[in-house]
Amino acid sequence: MHDFEFYSPENLGELYELLSMKEGQVIAGGTDLIPAMRLKVIQPSALFDLGPLSELRYIDLRQDRISIGALSTHTDLERSSLLAKHAPLLRQAAATVGSLQVRNRGTIGGNIATASPAADTVPPLLVLEAEVFLGSEKGERHLPLEEVLLEPGKTATAADEIITRVEFHPLPPGIGSAFLKLGKRHAMAISVVSVATVLRLANDHVQDVRIALGAVAPTVIRCREAERALLGEPLNEQTLIRASQAAANEISPISDIRATADYRCRAAQELLRRALLIAAQRCRGQ
Amino acid sequence: MDIELTVNEKAFEVKTDPNTTLLYVLREELGLTGTKDGCGAGECGVCTVLMDGQPINACLVLAPQAHGHEITTIEGLSEGEELHPLQQAFIEQGGIQCGFCTPGMIISAKALLDRTLRPTEEEIRRAITGNLCRCTGYVKVVDAIRAAAEKVRDAGTEDRR
Repeated sequence: MHDFEFYSPENLGELYELLSMKEGQVIAGGTDLIPAMRLKVIQPSALFDLGPLSELRYIDLRQDRISIGALSTHTDLERSSLLAKHAPLLRQAAATVGSLQVRNRGTIGGNIATASPAADTVPPLLVLEAEVFLGSEKGERHLPLEEVLLEPGKTATAADEIITRVEFHPLPPGIGSAFLKLGKRHAMAISVVSVATVLRLANDHVQDVRIALGAVAPTVIRCREAERALLGEPLNEQTLIRASQAAANEISPISDIRATADYRCRAAQELLRRALLIAAQRCRGQ
Repeated sequence: MDIELTVNEKAFEVKTDPNTTLLYVLREELGLTGTKDGCGAGECGVCTVLMDGQPINACLVLAPQAHGHEITTIEGLSEGEELHPLQQAFIEQGGIQCGFCTPGMIISAKALLDRTLRPTEEEIRRAITGNLCRCTGYVKVVDAIRAAAEKVRDAGTEDRR
């Protein structure tokens, strides 16, 4: 690895001061950053270790919102009974990231900040309509997650800022949800396509639906056309096909070493269909 | 820079650079070569060690990030000449061929048995999803972990080594 300076700020205040004064890269779990540094894709002159900042590692219910500190690991999410109860699809997604070893180090903040189009916690966070909080010496601001993700590898986080937490409303009772991930293996696999959905049915008609697809566009995206195609409709073969086709028009998959664009397009449609059916089942099951 | 860490219950002070990994420190500075260097990208699991009881890839921890933590390597499982039930079971069940994945595999299995001594087939398989093996096809590895769990249960005490 190249030479770099290494800083271990003991608290957020120290970190913000460093970020405002020095150019460098923050590192948390390092599960994306260290391989990237080995491949010389990124060679920061300085690293700022977020590890000691335990104040950023928590999963709480704060008034009417679930708040997840950016340094919560995927294992933390996987083991959270709060998430199991109020946002099961996020917990499911966290459980599919990498391997056990990677999940013990990788963080939700890192999953967002790395801005991979295939990031697994992002589709659930998008349909949960999560807000991302960004902190710096100047204070705190927040943006909808959708506005934070810009391009592959790029977020709206400024150079002197870090993601401190994400927040969203717990899923109310009566809502069904699902997360599905298609990969070339059942574990330690980057998503070929992923889908997250939350669904509310009333008299077997779609009252509310949110859909996000991963690994089929420059960022994980909400599929609002597909959502509109379903609102007020019953869930049957025709409406599911119409929604899947609408989603197919919203995505822009690429061909890469994992799959062709055409395969991704077809797989996304089928995955969406299955996810909606599962979410509907869970909806009715309550 | 100086880092302090506990490895296999012994305290160490190591002089190192920030642009090295825990894996390098274990193998090159501390001479604990049981932990292997494979892909360098956290994908193969041969570098798996326990950090504060949790299995992690040592190749994905920068040396200074290990400061203040407790590490368990494969060397920490045996006591002198006495093998850990996991090590014994891997030998008896034929879960070792070339042996390269074995230390990481056993550490992942140790983490599992620290959580439950009655793992289901599914739990065993999930526990080793981060450890690749090119030789065994995993069948004997899973058998070995199951047998080890039974060994520890039959011993009547929870093995806390």
